[in-house]
Amino acid sequence: MFHALVAVKQVPDTTNIRIDPETGNLVREGVPAIFNPYDAHALAAAVEWKRKLGGKVTVVSMGPPSFIVTLREAIEMGADEAYLVSDRKFAGADTLATSYVLAETIRRLNEQDPVDMIFFGKQAIDGDTAQVGPGVATRLDLPILTYAVKIRDIDLEARKAIVERKTERWVEVVELPLPVMLTCDKEIAEIPFAPLPDLIRSLKYDPEVWTMAGPVEFDRGQVGVRGSPTIVYKMGTPELPEPGEKINTREVGVEAAVREALAKAESAGVLSAVLGGAK
Amino acid sequence: MSTRRFWVFIEQEEGHIHPVSWELLGVANKLAADVRDEATAEGDEVVVEGVLLGEGVESLAQEAIYHGANRIYLLDGPVFKYYRTRPYSKSIAKLVKKYEPEVFLIGATTLGRDLAGAIATASHTGLTADCTQLEMGEVKGAKHKLLLATRPAFGGNIMATIVCRKHRPQMASVRPRVFPMPERNPAAQGDIIREPVMVTEDDAMATILEIIRNEGENVNLEYADIIVSGGRGMGSPDGFALIKELADELGGVVGASRPCVDAGWIGYEHQVGQSGKTVRPKLYIAAGISGALQHKVGMQGSDFIIAINNDPNAPIFEVADVGIIGDLYEVIPEMLKQIRAKKEAQA
Amino acid sequence: MSDNEQIRFDAVVVGAGMAGSAAAIVLGKAGLNVALIERGQKAGSKNYFGGALYTHALKEVLPDFMDRKPPFERPVTEAGFWFLSRDGGLMKATIEGGKLAETELPDAYITMRAAFDAWWAKQAQEAGAFLIPKTTVVDFIRDEQGQVIGVQTDRPQGDIYAPVVIICEGVNNLLTQKLGLARRDVEPAHAALAFKQVISLPMETINARFGLPDDAHGLAVSVLGDVSLGLPGMGFVYTNKKSISVGLGVMLDTLAEYRLRPYDVLQRYLQHPAIAPLVEGGQLLEYGAHLIPEGGWRDMPQLYAGGVMVAGDAAAMVNALHWEGTNMAMIAGKLAAETAIEAHKRGDFSAASLARYRDKLQDRFILQDLKQYRNFARFLETHPQFMDVYPNFLNSALADFFSAYGKPKKVLFREIFGELTHRRPLLKAVGDMISMGKAVMGW
Ligand SMILES: Cc1cc2nc3c(=O)[nH]c(=O)nc-3n(C[C@H](O)[C@H](O)[C@H](O)COP(=O)(O)OP(=O)(O)OC[C@H]3O[C@@H](n4cnc5c(N)ncnc54)[C@H](O)[C@@H]3O)c2cc1C
Ligand SMILES: Cc1cc2nc3c(=O)[nH]c(=O)nc-3n(C[C@H](O)[C@H](O)[C@H](O)COP(=O)(O)OP(=O)(O)OC[C@H]3O[C@@H](n4cnc5c(N)ncnc54)[C@H](O)[C@@H]3O)c2cc1C
Ligand SMILES: Nc1ncnc2c1ncn2[C@@H]1O[C@H](COP(=O)(O)O)[C@@H](O)[C@H]1O
Repeated sequence: MFHALVAVKQVPDTTNIRIDPETGNLVREGVPAIFNPYDAHALAAAVEWKRKLGGKVTVVSMGPPSFIVTLREAIEMGADEAYLVSDRKFAGADTLATSYVLAETIRRLNEQDPVDMIFFGKQAIDGDTAQVGPGVATRLDLPILTYAVKIRDIDLEARKAIVERKTERWVEVVELPLPVMLTCDKEIAEIPFAPLPDLIRSLKYDPEVWTMAGPVEFDRGQVGVRGSPTIVYKMGTPELPEPGEKINTREVGVEAAVREALAKAESAGVLSAVLGGAK
Repeated sequence: MSTRRFWVFIEQEEGHIHPVSWELLGVANKLAADVRDEATAEGDEVVVEGVLLGEGVESLAQEAIYHGANRIYLLDGPVFKYYRTRPYSKSIAKLVKKYEPEVFLIGATTLGRDLAGAIATASHTGLTADCTQLEMGEVKGAKHKLLLATRPAFGGNIMATIVCRKHRPQMASVRPRVFPMPERNPAAQGDIIREPVMVTEDDAMATILEIIRNEGENVNLEYADIIVSGGRGMGSPDGFALIKELADELGGVVGASRPCVDAGWIGYEHQVGQSGKTVRPKLYIAAGISGALQHKVGMQGSDFIIAINNDPNAPIFEVADVGIIGDLYEVIPEMLKQIRAKKEAQA
Repeated sequence: MSDNEQIRFDAVVVGAGMAGSAAAIVLGKAGLNVALIERGQKAGSKNYFGGALYTHALKEVLPDFMDRKPPFERPVTEAGFWFLSRDGGLMKATIEGGKLAETELPDAYITMRAAFDAWWAKQAQEAGAFLIPKTTVVDFIRDEQGQVIGVQTDRPQGDIYAPVVIICEGVNNLLTQKLGLARRDVEPAHAALAFKQVISLPMETINARFGLPDDAHGLAVSVLGDVSLGLPGMGFVYTNKKSISVGLGVMLDTLAEYRLRPYDVLQRYLQHPAIAPLVEGGQLLEYGAHLIPEGGWRDMPQLYAGGVMVAGDAAAMVNALHWEGTNMAMIAGKLAAETAIEAHKRGDFSAASLARYRDKLQDRFILQDLKQYRNFARFLETHPQFMDVYPNFLNSALADFFSAYGKPKKVLFREIFGELTHRRPLLKAVGDMISMGKAVMGW
């Protein structure tokens, strides 16, 4: 039996973020919350292998109660159980504090039912940090493979897996002992269209909610703001440089516009490699 | 007297240095300069040091010194031949413990991001990802200047400055091409300190069975000198034929905005911008790109920008050195014609 | 749930729009186990309208709806018509106070569908309905006699069984057609394409521009005249709390015939000198388009068959002149639900049993109004001047009237009359009035 554990996060859909032009503040209103896309693919991979090998998929998330929607979506996608770790005291966590809470939670879930593989997304699109996965693996002292793009094999007997990892330069085929953690890119699995019975189950499903009160005993100093070494010191809007000159082809004609633009580029010396030395 | 250490992770694979390492040595020197007065006043010394892991990479350590490191800690051994999270992160975490650097910068490459998260957790410290500005600045209540790490947040709409008050090192990951490449100085002197390798192959818990290379596909956008990028304004994937023609003529490479990549007009490796590559070519030509914030953050560091757009109010003109208001399908062929004529005239 | 176990409900409602959630509320309250199936991510995520909702219909479906905090924008405290002229003039014929202010509960509230539909579906859930989002009904399950006994959805293992299905699928009534109840798609000549923009503005700006004292006052007007390039069409302006909705509807065939792009028509309307200052400086929040079935009575499909009933836009229940659609949809949904409840009591879901649905509609304003207006769509088709010439005439007549100081009034009236006959020969004008009467009064 294969037991996969998947860490999923709810994120604001960054493609929909707007800035109030007057105040320069972020308009959060109406920005939809979505399932972090990489996590969804990671979950799809876990479910795919559960269907192949038999077993179950447990999903875990740390966040406010609104994350329940995301955990229900995980059930819709084929997860069997879902846990939300949620407490006001966790608020304001940076990646170090987040990885602490997740690691302790996973440790506990592993005691209940030993885990063979832990799936994370390669990064969460709200912060794009890609830090929590390696952080959790470090805390649990587990082998980890980041940027996983394909699971070639999971051998529960021999306790090992063969996984492909994509880097900037090549694809590595890596053999790892179980239990292992993967942080997954989108190619790891396609997200299937959930069967109706799974959707119906998800709509009725209430994830188990764990808090500071238990069952995991968290160290108060390591969670939330207190457990976060970094703080946001200030926020601002990006600065814009001075714009350069605009040449309108309608006014001067295409030929002259291009000539002028190239002349400027040449005198700035950026065409020297193409045309020989700058004037 | 104590030593304030500014560390940079020197990234290499198969003996090739990732250039971001040099860029980071450049910033580290700038950061060191930010605190030099403060340190001198207290009788402290400020140094920029690199951490280099690999197998048979001593010559690279020398290169790092030419690029601005005062000292290199070298971990050389077969277990480091290829990057694997555990041997790298465990070994570096030990060095961190031993030398207690004040600041530690790592390139936000696939390798660097993986490593940075693991080291920060093992060292129990804060890490700010994907920074675009770094400085050492005074923060109320702090005795010494702190690292002010600024990074885009919420889709690039906001710049957030993050500080790590108490924990050390203050870690930051930085994308390639955000900071300029420092001059190589072959006269520079520095020490290379060989550190003992304390991890074994068994500790790695990952065996690389095979490496599948796909040389043809590699687009070296980040380090290209000339980039010609096309956007949704091309109207169709065919536009890239024209873009490519111009790029080839200029000896440059092809870039793209995200919608083109999302629509499958061109591969992801060509994407410039926040969720693609940050580039800093000498010349960047943007054709049919509106200049959304997320695109601009990826290219505004270019030396010279030419924007071609038929909308006079397109925001891309805000960052362009020269803006041509016109139809790219008229402008680019004309550009090709004039460049060819110029080349011929030279020959 | 094992794979071969059937999914069963007492009733299925297709579409969590105005009609569907109303039906589900009524069914749920009666204790039936009802599935409300919606293809959108959420109820309302695919829906669009002007608009204003009428409280009489809401009250009929859910008497205590006001206590449940519906996400309304503003009550309609000023309503009526605006006439735009080609030279940039604006004539207003609106009413405020009077009858509008007499009732305890405002007659209508301005709303946004995304928020309202989500709330409306939530009321259905609270009444006990089971909302199944992100799922599209694609076909029916039938018994040997052809009676509908369930629906097929687009999901794997996606069949749902129920003895009665209420179709509230909106204007694109593919399912209604699939059953053979409607013969074909809505004809372009009988459908308006409505498009609108929601433009955000500070609340104070809106209040100032529209002369509203506060956000407890709102304006809903239909705009005629130089709205749609002289083509049959009608515009509208609604004030939300911190935004305004402006848009217009143009008959689909007209758009096609003149090869107009909806966006251009809308842009032109927004640039009209009377409209532009209202939206100036605002930020575009959304842009959307939606069909309105205006065929009414004549396009109405058969309303029921064995195991199914059709309600709302899917059954062309819209009175275009009065911007009535939501109320008809809600009440029709309720009546269909009541019929389903009775059918459950009798244990008979045959066409004969569900025929009661039509009788119920007949007893109410819905079928009566639609019948009365049965010629309206065709009337507009043949009398485009009602959308254009007359409003323009009225406008310039009024302008003349109020700029005629110092001029013999005889001359004035001769001029105005001359203007009318210049625009439309007198006999024709009389004929128009008679046709209009026929269309609206059902003569
Ligand atoms: C979290 C996040 C990350 C993102 N990351 C990236 C990223 O990494 N890279 C990126 O590029 N975008 C990114 N985006 C998307 C970004 O917001 C913009 O949507 C995108 O950059 C727009 O691409 P575009 O300029 O090609 O298209 P458009 O905005 O559609 O612009 C097309 C332009 O072409 C002009 N045009 C049309 N026809 C012609 C013609 N014949 N001749 C000349 N000009 C013409 C038009 O005037 C217009 O200005 C991201 C968005 C988010 C929210
Ligand atoms: C611009 C505009 C302005 C209007 N202004 C007004 C006004 O001011 N006052 C007024 O009373 N009326 C107005 N109307 C008309 C009114 O919006 C409609 O008459 C009313 O919404 C019809 O309700 P309905 O429930 O029949 O359809 P809808 O509200 O359209 O609901 C249909 C629902 O079914 C879902 N659906 C469709 N097919 C399937 C399927 N196969 N499986 C699952 N789900 C499906 C859809 O996603 C949708 O949620 C306006 C319409 C428009 C377009
Ligand atoms: N609050 C959280 N709850 C569960 N998983 C998380 C959380 N934050 C991050 N993760 C996981 O860690 C991955 C990397 O996140 P990040 O480091 O924030 O980019 C995500 O793709 C998730 O799998």
